[in-house]
Amino acid sequence: MRVNTIVYCIGQGLKNIKRHFLPTLASVGTITACIFLFSIFFCVVVNLRHTVERVEETVGITVFFDKELSEEEVRAIGAEIAKNNDIREMHFTSAEEAWAEFQKDYLKGAEELAEGFVQDNPLATMPSYEIFLKDIEQQGVFVDWLEAIPGVRRVNASSVTAGGLVDMNNAIGYVSIALIAILLCVSVFLINNTISMAIAARRDEIRIMRLVGATKSFIRAPFLVEGLLIGLIGAAVPLGMVWGIYERAIVYLQGKLAILARLLSFLPLEEIMRTLIPVAAVLGVGIGLFGSIGAVRKHLKV
Amino acid sequence: MIDFENVSKTYGKNVKAVRSLNLHIDKGEFVFVMGDSGSGKSTLIRLLLREIEPSSGTILVDGVDITHMKRRKIPHYRRKLGVVFQDFKLLKDLNVYDNVAFAQRVVVTPTRQIRKEVPQILTRVGLSAKYKAFPGELSGGEQQRVAIARALVNKPDILLCDEPTGNLDAHNAWEVMRLLEEINAEGTTVVVVTHSQEIVDKMNRRVIVMNRGDMIDDRHKGGDDE
Ligand SMILES: Nc1ncnc2c1ncn2[C@@H]1O[C@H](COP(=O)(O)OP(=O)(O)OP(=O)(O)O)[C@@H](O)[C@H]1O
Ligand SMILES: [Mg+2]
Repeated sequence: MRVNTIVYCIGQGLKNIKRHFLPTLASVGTITACIFLFSIFFCVVVNLRHTVERVEETVGITVFFDKELSEEEVRAIGAEIAKNNDIREMHFTSAEEAWAEFQKDYLKGAEELAEGFVQDNPLATMPSYEIFLKDIEQQGVFVDWLEAIPGVRRVNASSVTAGGLVDMNNAIGYVSIALIAILLCVSVFLINNTISMAIAARRDEIRIMRLVGATKSFIRAPFLVEGLLIGLIGAAVPLGMVWGIYERAIVYLQGKLAILARLLSFLPLEEIMRTLIPVAAVLGVGIGLFGSIGAVRKHLKV
Repeated sequence: MIDFENVSKTYGKNVKAVRSLNLHIDKGEFVFVMGDSGSGKSTLIRLLLREIEPSSGTILVDGVDITHMKRRKIPHYRRKLGVVFQDFKLLKDLNVYDNVAFAQRVVVTPTRQIRKEVPQILTRVGLSAKYKAFPGELSGGEQQRVAIARALVNKPDILLCDEPTGNLDAHNAWEVMRLLEEINAEGTTVVVVTHSQEIVDKMNRRVIVMNRGDMIDDRHKGGDDE
């Protein structure tokens, strides 16, 4: 195709949009809604997954042992535990280390106070193991297994973080897939409708084109361009919205949900956008082309 | 130039619009097609345009079988034809110049050629002064002349007119007929569907008469220079 022809087709596509502003707006609106929802779910899911990963890395299981056991005995049990394949990392903390850590964390600048604690320090006589699992979903089973081992007194694991996050993430994933699928269908339908209207409104023009000998692709191109543009606008708007909202939303969440927000960790906007922009563009273009190709096939035969 | 060989066209199951038609039209001929409403005249034109396919038989144009033509070749075939219909409207939001240029733009004619040829053809139909006017500002006869200019601008070998004077008064109808005659004199084959016995009588050309899908008459009136 010549440059002239391409310019012509794009020009005609734009003209169509101008002529059918309202249906075009409706189409752009639904695609925007579709892709915006997708973006939100995407952000939530990606951030949750990120959080889970972080949790997997940082939240370990702490195992405490019966008071009567000596350090050697504890280490012997530890060696048994270490044989478990689900374990990614395992550290021994002696009673002294635990105490030092505790002092450092909680009693900073209050050393005299710490002195007074020594006698009945709850951690002083407690050597422990900190265990990190390969897969946080195994935590429940693993904890049960630990608790059944003789000599183990207590197992500390934050079950909320692990199981809860994974389940929530999966649920959000399913809900979003369902919603997005519905919106996708609606978008394709609306674009199909818009393009069909554009075709109907230009019936005379199209008949002249056909009878004068315009090629099929020449007749169809403006409508495909129209669909494509609608799709692209429908992708650009929600991307802009995410761009504007994302960081504000994080700040808001951190203010509202202080405790939870400390647990959550958010990916930076740039990282989100790096995936979101191409995915949204492909979605928009796909919806636009799919809808308009359907309409054009149905209404523009040679 | 144009050959119908045993061509039939049935719409749906039993509307026989054209029955076993055999018709030969020579290059450079001027042919009228007459007949009552519903006798199959427009069907004939649409068959030639390959807007519809015959139910049986073959149509040859320039020796090419257009009934078995590949779809993607149809547009190029149609560039050999010019069409003027009674209801084949001009585009209201384009002025005279752009209406004519439209026919060239959509077959990807270089702009320089369009700029040269549109004024030529508008002069040819006597409308060069009104090139900026919009269809709504023209008389029926003028509009039909613009339509003829549009049909001619791509220099077709054959001009097909389906009731081109259908809604024109006598004066305008004659203007259009004279124009068609001139175009024919320059070598274009012209096929004109009309209801007007008066025009047919005065023009003194070949007349084909259709009746319920059959060609019932094909008479050459003398005096033409084929
Ligand atoms: N698309 C169609 N579908 C079904 N029947 C049709 C169609 N087009 C035409 N017909 C029928 O075919 C017959 C011939 O129609 P055609 O349009 O060729 O007649 P015509 O001679 O041009 O009539 P008129 O002088 O009124 O324009 C008519 O009976 C008409 O009702
Ligand atoms: Mg007719």
